Amino acid sequence: MKRRIFCLGAAAIVLAGPMPAVAGELIHATLYKNPQCTCCEGYAAYLRKNGFSVDVKPSNEVAEISREAGVPEKFQGCHTMFVDGYVVDGHVPADIVHKLLSERPPIAGITLPGMPLGAPGMTGTKASTFTIYAVTKDGTPPKVYATE
Amino acid sequence: MTATPGLWPLVGEGEAETAVWCYDNRVPGPEIRVRQGEPVRIVVENKLDEATTVHWHGIRLPNAMDGVPGLTQPPIKPGEKFVYAFTPPDAGTFWYHPHADSLRQLGRGLAGALIVEEPETIPVDRDILWMIADWRLKPDAQIAGGFGNAMEAAMSGRVGNTVTLNGAVSNGVAVHAGERIRLRLVNSALARIMALRFEGHRPAVIAIDGQPCETHEPVGGRILLGPAMRVDILIDMRGEPGRRYRVVDDFYDGLAYWLTELAYDSNPPLRKHSSDAPLSLPRNPLPEPNLDTAEHHVLKLQGGMMGGNGMMGMGMMGVGMSHGAIWAINGMSMTGDGQADMPPLLTLQRGRSYRLTIRNDTAWWHPMHLHGHSFRVLRRNGKAVPHHQWADTVLVSPHEAVDIAFVADNPGDWMFHCHITDHQASGLMVVLRVT
Ligand SMILES: [Cu+2]
Repeated sequence: MKRRIFCLGAAAIVLAGPMPAVAGELIHATLYKNPQCTCCEGYAAYLRKNGFSVDVKPSNEVAEISREAGVPEKFQGCHTMFVDGYVVDGHVPADIVHKLLSERPPIAGITLPGMPLGAPGMTGTKASTFTIYAVTKDGTPPKVYATE
Repeated sequence: MTATPGLWPLVGEGEAETAVWCYDNRVPGPEIRVRQGEPVRIVVENKLDEATTVHWHGIRLPNAMDGVPGLTQPPIKPGEKFVYAFTPPDAGTFWYHPHADSLRQLGRGLAGALIVEEPETIPVDRDILWMIADWRLKPDAQIAGGFGNAMEAAMSGRVGNTVTLNGAVSNGVAVHAGERIRLRLVNSALARIMALRFEGHRPAVIAIDGQPCETHEPVGGRILLGPAMRVDILIDMRGEPGRRYRVVDDFYDGLAYWLTELAYDSNPPLRKHSSDAPLSLPRNPLPEPNLDTAEHHVLKLQGGMMGGNGMMGMGMMGVGMSHGAIWAINGMSMTGDGQADMPPLLTLQRGRSYRLTIRNDTAWWHPMHLHGHSFRVLRRNGKAVPHHQWADTVLVSPHEAVDIAFVADNPGDWMFHCHITDHQASGLMVVLRVT
């Protein structure tokens, strides 16, 4: 049990940086989610079926963790994941995460804003194209990284 | 009393002081103690650089003193003063906070306790206040920005990372073996819900939101305290001299922490046998609603993330969205500090009894607060609530229905809103009019 919660967010960021990414065949990811949101578990389960091992950590500060990682507020998804030095925000499809990890562009990470219908781990049927944005830490506006 | 920017050592020695907004240069604001039935006059001066008001949470006072900008008074502009004058009819634990730019003003520290003393109180060794507040601090101990984040507004609100007791992170509270303490718990957080357990102790609840109830032990020894709620407990210090006992908050799954410790000094117990007599407080002069004749209304709480089908509720559910609202009550939403021109959701006849079913159609918890009145908490999901509980802020769990009842005896336009401040500011707020 934590003595106090001061600076939990900051500790999380430090942890998330240089972490061994590959555990055996699986790519290791750490996913921060609101303790009371259930859809994020669905996303973790989806990733586990697609080549990842996922550590799910409840946090009341997902918005702050996401912002610190370079995701502007209007582009935030409902959870924030760190994988191999990148931030992956929201319900990004696994093939696009794999693309990110193989291309290794000089960005902070990628995000699928909001909680679009039919996205991996979400219910519903896909109503429109998912637009995944690349985010940086230098304040330049997000650019489209991929669509699906 | 002056609202002003200030510096306060929230996280303790060796750490930077935190830039806060506060009353009279301290966090929490001054503990105001007054007597039941005696007139109170408080001059509030605004030295902030934005408008403010003060809401006297839970006090049944005249509408013009309720502190809601635009609705009950003009906002107090920077440099201006406002005189609040009222006579508290009820004894108990109440508190005060702004009702303007609430996310930032409450979130930066503007809050204090207002204790109305009974003419004859119960025999305890000490009467102690715990104002429990929650802050989102950066590593330099300064308050993080990002107030009003849309994702947080649609989920559980801005819950912080540092919980303070009476304005500071607490390592322990000194107690003596054998003493009986009346502990007044106040949750002044923006959004954090708490579930407190006192390891090795058996607290008894004697009042909720200032209003006495039948003395009882909380279920599982766990005291649920939503934002703005107060619980008065009696606690006999039956621990061993020299030992320490944790006070644990385990409301959020996987995020339990300890708030403080009861730190016993090494002196032998004050007395051999602490009294077993359960003490109860004298009742306040509340009008008992007539349930046979009460008019019934259903208030549906709507919206938020995952509302209904795993989605951001409002837009997807086609509920009317005004002012960028994320939440609604029966399809109506006031946002920000409120819109005084919006018609009331209900118009209640003065003197009549009302029964309201607050039906939570969302996936999130909501502490729902009614201004100007205290209400009986009758049933949860149809099951009778024991111990004759009254409240002014009732915590409603996801998909729960809570029945409340009261006599609409206080004329005016009164706010009814969620006290998770992000929810309040993004639509979970309406007005009930008593004519
Ligand atoms: Cu709420």
